[in-house]
Parts: sequence; structure tokens; C-alpha cells
Amino acid sequence: MSPQWVTGNRWSGCLAGFSGLVGQLGLALTLLLIAQIARAQTIAPEKLQLCASCHGVDGRSAVPGTPHLAGLQTSYFVRQMEDFRKGRRKSPVMQAVMTGLDDKDFALLATHFREQKPPEPGKGDPAMLRKGKDIFMEGIVASAVPACSGCHKEDGTGTNRYPRLAGQQPQYLVEQMLNYKSGARDNDDRSLMRAVAQRMTEAEIRAVAEFIVTMKGDEE
Amino acid sequence: MTHHITTTLLRARVAISAVAHRLAGFLVGVCMLAGWSVAALAADQLAVFGDKRYEWGKLLPEQVEVFRLTGDIERGKEAFRGCRGCHKADAGGLSDGTYPRLSGQHASVVIKQVTEVRAGIRVNPKMEPFSSDHAVSPQEIADIAVFLESVQSTRDNGKGPGTLLTLGKSLYDKGQCASCHGEAGEGKAIRAYPVVASQHYGYLVREMELIQKGLRGNSHPKMVKAIAHYTARDIEAVADYMSRMPDYRLALQTRSR
Repeated sequence: MSPQWVTGNRWSGCLAGFSGLVGQLGLALTLLLIAQIARAQTIAPEKLQLCASCHGVDGRSAVPGTPHLAGLQTSYFVRQMEDFRKGRRKSPVMQAVMTGLDDKDFALLATHFREQKPPEPGKGDPAMLRKGKDIFMEGIVASAVPACSGCHKEDGTGTNRYPRLAGQQPQYLVEQMLNYKSGARDNDDRSLMRAVAQRMTEAEIRAVAEFIVTMKGDEE
Repeated sequence: MTHHITTTLLRARVAISAVAHRLAGFLVGVCMLAGWSVAALAADQLAVFGDKRYEWGKLLPEQVEVFRLTGDIERGKEAFRGCRGCHKADAGGLSDGTYPRLSGQHASVVIKQVTEVRAGIRVNPKMEPFSSDHAVSPQEIADIAVFLESVQSTRDNGKGPGTLLTLGKSLYDKGQCASCHGEAGEGKAIRAYPVVASQHYGYLVREMELIQKGLRGNSHPKMVKAIAHYTARDIEAVADYMSRMPDYRLALQTRSR
């Protein structure tokens, strides 16, 4: 059960008590209100299924290259969804999905996935872990690549401004970084990721992605 | 502390509490508006030295905007997250000087430099994307500036080889360094002259070389003139001396006891 439901019940309890004082009309209004709250705060199963078929109901994707959504910040989630809809972030699959969703759905889905248990860390390629960790924690001084940890935090859990990375699918991370590097993805709010990716080689990007999948995200 | 009566403006600034910093940030801004316009009167005759297109003392519209804002240390700490990837969480930078130490730098200096990097006046392609108006808002620049002024990095800064310190001290004291950057390397907040004490040796050398070559882009004409005749050895000597000056806030406290 999500916290929304708890809140919804408390509200309906108060409102039901109140309605006892004003009689039948009040009760009718209350029931209507409860129905609206319920409609506003649950995701229609068919809409969740739109996401779940690739990303999993719990936001843990079993499809390589398809990102985990569990634990992702709602601010980031909603912005990406809006960008898919506007075509600012390009993905034929995601754009097709957008036709069935509106702003309210974005918010509900964002909350749903934020509350799921984040993905279990993966193993990562042992040959690249050391280099990847070094890049994540210290950056690459020679080519002025900032440390990932600066914005996404040392444990990779991110902030409201910078998304969670810990445990994310490496194939997905590499693809996105290469898209930033080439400019194929250009919806980074502050142009920051393009600047970072352009300073990195593909080998460096792969190494850091192999490290990120091993991160537990301790703060969660 | 018993030195209140003899407290100078700078010592007072050292003692400012975190709360008072907000007010101070605003006051510095107001003072700078006044200070810089005074400096601008003399800019014409000095503009012949390097960085010819740059007029020290002419405030950019965005600088006027930022100086009027009130910075907040807590918000600044969060906004600084975007800078930490290079300058590190304690704002201590990298000891080899690739990234300068920003902890304890005057808010006015941070504001001046960030706004001029993003305006393309101070030439810094490494930092430019991360200081762009996409990356930090004017309010965030004000917040970051007061945050940095309040921070004290506990890590050692990078120092030079220590072989030319007598020359370095003599150049610093008898040359024109101390007249602007202060005897303790404390700079001058009101004029946006930077703190140089405890800065990384590598950074000081690199920036002086850029200033000499006219490649930094936003140097004070007096600064360009002061080191125009320096040899590479002079630069190393004075940089080493500055890198070994203790944190000016500690130095001024000790001296006033």
C-alpha cells in the first residue's frame, strides 16, 4: 500500500465524520470526494502495465539496455516523461507510449517508481572497476572531466536535481553517454552532461558504467 | 578576544558570523559598486597593458544583479554540488593546482570570476560549461559565493620546492603584490582582489603566466604591469612564497592577539 492510500483513508475518515452532521447531502458529497481522491491517487493498471512490460512493475528492468526506474527521483522522472512527449528526448518506443499518458499519470508513475526498492547491485566487469571507480570519485584531471560523485553523490543516489545512478543498467548508461557525446541526446537541462560526455572516451564511459552497476546506494 | 577596539575592517570581516555573512555579502556588493566605479576613472591610462579590451571596474549588468542579491550559505552548499566534481566538497581544489582552492575566497572575487568566465571574458574553456547560465542562476552564484567565503579546507595546499623563498618574500613585500593582495595575502574584498595565501603553487604559477601573456582575459592592468618584467624564476619564487602563507583568517587572528 502506498502512503497516498493511508492519507486518502484518513481524509475520508474525517470527511465521513463531518458528513454525519450535515446529513444525506453531506454523505453523498463525501462519497463523491472519496471517489475523486481514489481516482486521483492510484495508477490505472493498464497505464502501469505500459511501463511494466519493459521496466517491470517494481521498476527493476529485466531487459538489458532498458533502465531501472526503481528509486529514481520524481523530479527527474517527470522531466524525462515531459521531454519524451515533447520530442525533446528522442525514443520511438517512449514516444509511442506517451500517447496514453497525461501529466497526472506522470506524477503518479513517478511516485510509484520512486517508492520501489532500488535495484540490487550487479557484478560489473572486474577488469574495468578500478578505473571506473576512480573516474566516478575523482574525475579525469587531464581532460577536465569532473567527478560523477560531485553531483550524483558519492554513493550514486543523486539529489532532486541530479538523478540516481547507483545500480543502473550499464548498457543503458553507456548508450545515453554516447548519445550525449554525439549530441543525439540533448535534453540535459543544463547542457552539463553533454560537456562531460564530450570529454570522455568510449572506454572511459564503459568503465564508469561498469562501476556504477556495482553501487548499492547506501543512503537509501 | 580583546582586540575589538583596534579591529580593522578586515579583522571585522574575519569575525563575521555565518548569519552576518548575508548582510556582509550585500554590503560588499554595494561597496564594490562604489569601489569599481572609482577604479574605472583610472582605467583609461592603464589599459595599454595586456588584456586590452577588458575594462577593470566596468561592472557587467549581471554583476550588478548578483551583487544586489543576498547569498545564503546553506543554499550555496547545495548549489556548489555542481562544482564539487572538480573543486571538491571542501572547496580545496587539487593540490597540483589544476583546480584552485576556493575555500575562504572573498564572495566578491567568486562573483566577479564566475560571471566573467561565463561571459567569456575570463578565458577558461574547462570551466565555461559548468558556469554557464544554464548551470547556475544569478542567485546560486550569490549563494555559492557566501558559502565559499565561509568554508575552511583542512587539506594541505600544494606548495613549491621551497628553494626561492627569500626571493619570493622580497618580491612580494617590496614589489607591488602586498599593496593590493595584503601583507597576509588576504586580498581585498571591497575591490575584488583575491586571497592568494595558501593557494596552490601550481595554480598561482599558471595564472601568473597567463596574465603575463595577456591570456587570462580579465586581469587588472596594475596586475599585468606589476609582473610584466618577472622572469620564470621570479614567478616560481613569489608563487611559492604565497602558497606558504597560512590561511589569512588564521594569520590575522594570531596577529591581533
